[in-house]
Amino acid sequence: MDLSFLPQLPFALSAPVMFGALLAAGLVAGEAANRYASLPRITGYALAGVVLGPQLSGLLSREVLHALSVLIDLSVGLIVFELGFRFDWDWLKRNRWLLVTAVAESLFGFGAIFGALVYFGFEPALAAGAAAIGSATSPAVVMLVAHELRAEGQITERALLFTAVNSVFAYVALTLVLPFLHLDLHQGWQQALLRPPYILGGSLLAGAAACALMLALARWLGKREDRQFVLLVAIVVLTVGVARSLNLSVMVALMTLGMLARNLDRRHVLMPLRLGYGGQLFFVILFVLTGAGLEFGAWGTAAWLVATLLVVRFLGKALAIIVFGRLSGVRTGGAGLLAIALLPMSGLAVGMVRDASELSPAFSGELGGILLAAVALSELLGPLATQFALRRAGEAHPGPQGG
Amino acid sequence: MDEMNFRPSAEISLGIELELQLLRAHDFDLSRGAADLLELLEKRKLPGAVKPEITESMVELNSSVHRHHGSLRDELLVMRDAVVKEAGVLNLRVAGGGSHPFHDWADRRIFPTGRFRSILERYGYLAKQFTVFGQHIHVGCPGGDDAVYLIHMLTRYVPHFIALSAASPFYQGEDTQFQSSRLTSINAFPLAGHMPFVRDWAEFIEYYDKMRGFGIVASMKDFYWDIRPKPEYGTVEIRVCDTPLTVQRAALLGAYAQALVAYHLAERPRAPARAVYLVNSFNRFEASRFGCRGDLIEPYESRRKKLGQDILESIETVMPHALQIGAADALAELAADVRHGYSDANWLLECHTELGSLPDVVRESAARWSALA
Repeated sequence: MDLSFLPQLPFALSAPVMFGALLAAGLVAGEAANRYASLPRITGYALAGVVLGPQLSGLLSREVLHALSVLIDLSVGLIVFELGFRFDWDWLKRNRWLLVTAVAESLFGFGAIFGALVYFGFEPALAAGAAAIGSATSPAVVMLVAHELRAEGQITERALLFTAVNSVFAYVALTLVLPFLHLDLHQGWQQALLRPPYILGGSLLAGAAACALMLALARWLGKREDRQFVLLVAIVVLTVGVARSLNLSVMVALMTLGMLARNLDRRHVLMPLRLGYGGQLFFVILFVLTGAGLEFGAWGTAAWLVATLLVVRFLGKALAIIVFGRLSGVRTGGAGLLAIALLPMSGLAVGMVRDASELSPAFSGELGGILLAAVALSELLGPLATQFALRRAGEAHPGPQGG
Repeated sequence: MDEMNFRPSAEISLGIELELQLLRAHDFDLSRGAADLLELLEKRKLPGAVKPEITESMVELNSSVHRHHGSLRDELLVMRDAVVKEAGVLNLRVAGGGSHPFHDWADRRIFPTGRFRSILERYGYLAKQFTVFGQHIHVGCPGGDDAVYLIHMLTRYVPHFIALSAASPFYQGEDTQFQSSRLTSINAFPLAGHMPFVRDWAEFIEYYDKMRGFGIVASMKDFYWDIRPKPEYGTVEIRVCDTPLTVQRAALLGAYAQALVAYHLAERPRAPARAVYLVNSFNRFEASRFGCRGDLIEPYESRRKKLGQDILESIETVMPHALQIGAADALAELAADVRHGYSDANWLLECHTELGSLPDVVRESAARWSALA
């Protein structure tokens, strides 16, 4: 009997099977987290990832995760693009204290972590690298919690704006610190001096070029939401791809694209952005994969240090917002909520830690582990903090979705 | 019954309320920034008052009392600048216009005060659909009987105010083909419409007491009439206008109301007639649908004419009184607009044709309100 039409066992896990299964697993976990535990859906997605990932069941091996990293970049690309697109220079012009507050928020967060790490005896260069990485808030968490709650208002807008600023700050600060890590390693001055400007300049250029293309095509396509949505996805995917192949920063390139698209579109050819259901697909995958990649190791060895780091980071950020927030028009009681909304540490840190570790083995040791553990906690509990803050601020949409 | 004591006020004194749209800068949909904006404005000394309105997407400017529309306009300009500036701090934009062209009413949130909450409870979705933006014009009159007389007289001119202020051609993302779609949302309320045909203030009080006795109303505020008496201010309040796209036009409309009141109080040209109310809803519909190009049934002469023509004739009739109160220039400006076929609604429609999307229309409208364009 010829049964060769039957598939070979075991089945090969093809990409579509993988993609569909992750999506379904994330969806179910997210819905369950929301329904039975009142947790944000994205916490559910991330938990699904933790369960599937190498830390627990191992269904998603490190190799598979590496192969799927392009999906993370695409999703982060979309989110960072939206974050940039919401970034409004006009607002900063109308409200000078806002930029001061945003920069202070980044700086104080940086300073607090740096101070704590130096106090605990880490080398200044390493501490500075870790502080740079730690000062960023997670664009994905803040953006998606805001989406899920359909939150709207001053705390939400500022949380998004500050996240954009501290993400850029973190990347630039780390890039400036990296040469010192290089020198540690005696890799030679070319690497140290040339790599940062290549990455920053190249990413800016890539973002700017993509923006020019996007504006030109949008003008030609006209104002139709459906077409512009496809255009947006196309340009974002393209830019992510280019940034990856040229070893540039996906985050900086997409943030640049978003910011320029918003602020250079003087003829207003672009429609307001609505990612809608299409975006949702990417975001479920993003959090499942992020969850799978989380590293909890340092929780076993240096839990108190991880916790201290998160606490001083929060205090630093809160101090800046409390000191400058009133001047920038934050309402009474809003500053604390804003600081809580900014609690989730950025998943981008994972990439940054990888970069830093490549250059400095000292970094990849204890400090990298501590940062990754802080990120892990942030990805799971951070959404709760942001959700609490936005709800408490009264900015969540009432009703089943938001309230 | 203190509420119903008609406190006489200076004849033809003028005050204006303007409901404004608060917009998000990133997509020009309605925002929900009223509470934050009001908190910032509290710190500033302003000539009039800025107040919350039914949903968190609106605020209301209240002018103080003026004799002349010019000083009223100047005061409103000061208030406008303050509101626009503080809104900028919050990255909000402010615009006039009778409706937001594309907001989703279901997204609106009621401003959390007892009165607004009880309106939501009572009227359900109507309360949220009530996120429309009107101009109310108060004109002072010497007594309650005069107020009743003026309301009967001014009702004939309701279509004029609708057509001259019309600025809500878009609603829920659609071109409604109406010059003012806003009035349609108000018509849905059970207490919308007009004052009953009472002869004097005493008879009005009798009617009001009955309605209170039935438990249908608790205060004058519960009547959503086109024109209603406001005894505590000593005014009649014309409530049919869309908020225009500019402060200047709001002041012009005030001047026209002033001139009409001055003319009727001085000359008493006609006696109240039931016929006015027979043709009212037809005329009102024509005005909100077609603006000045609509038809008007003249109730006293029972003949049909073009609304625009009727406005021009009426402006001519009241002009001598307008001259006396310094409103002649304003009326001339309105007449010129009627002749040129200008309306704020048409401006919005042209904006849409030219720019191609409703968010663009809102952006331009906000720029115009803020005097940036």
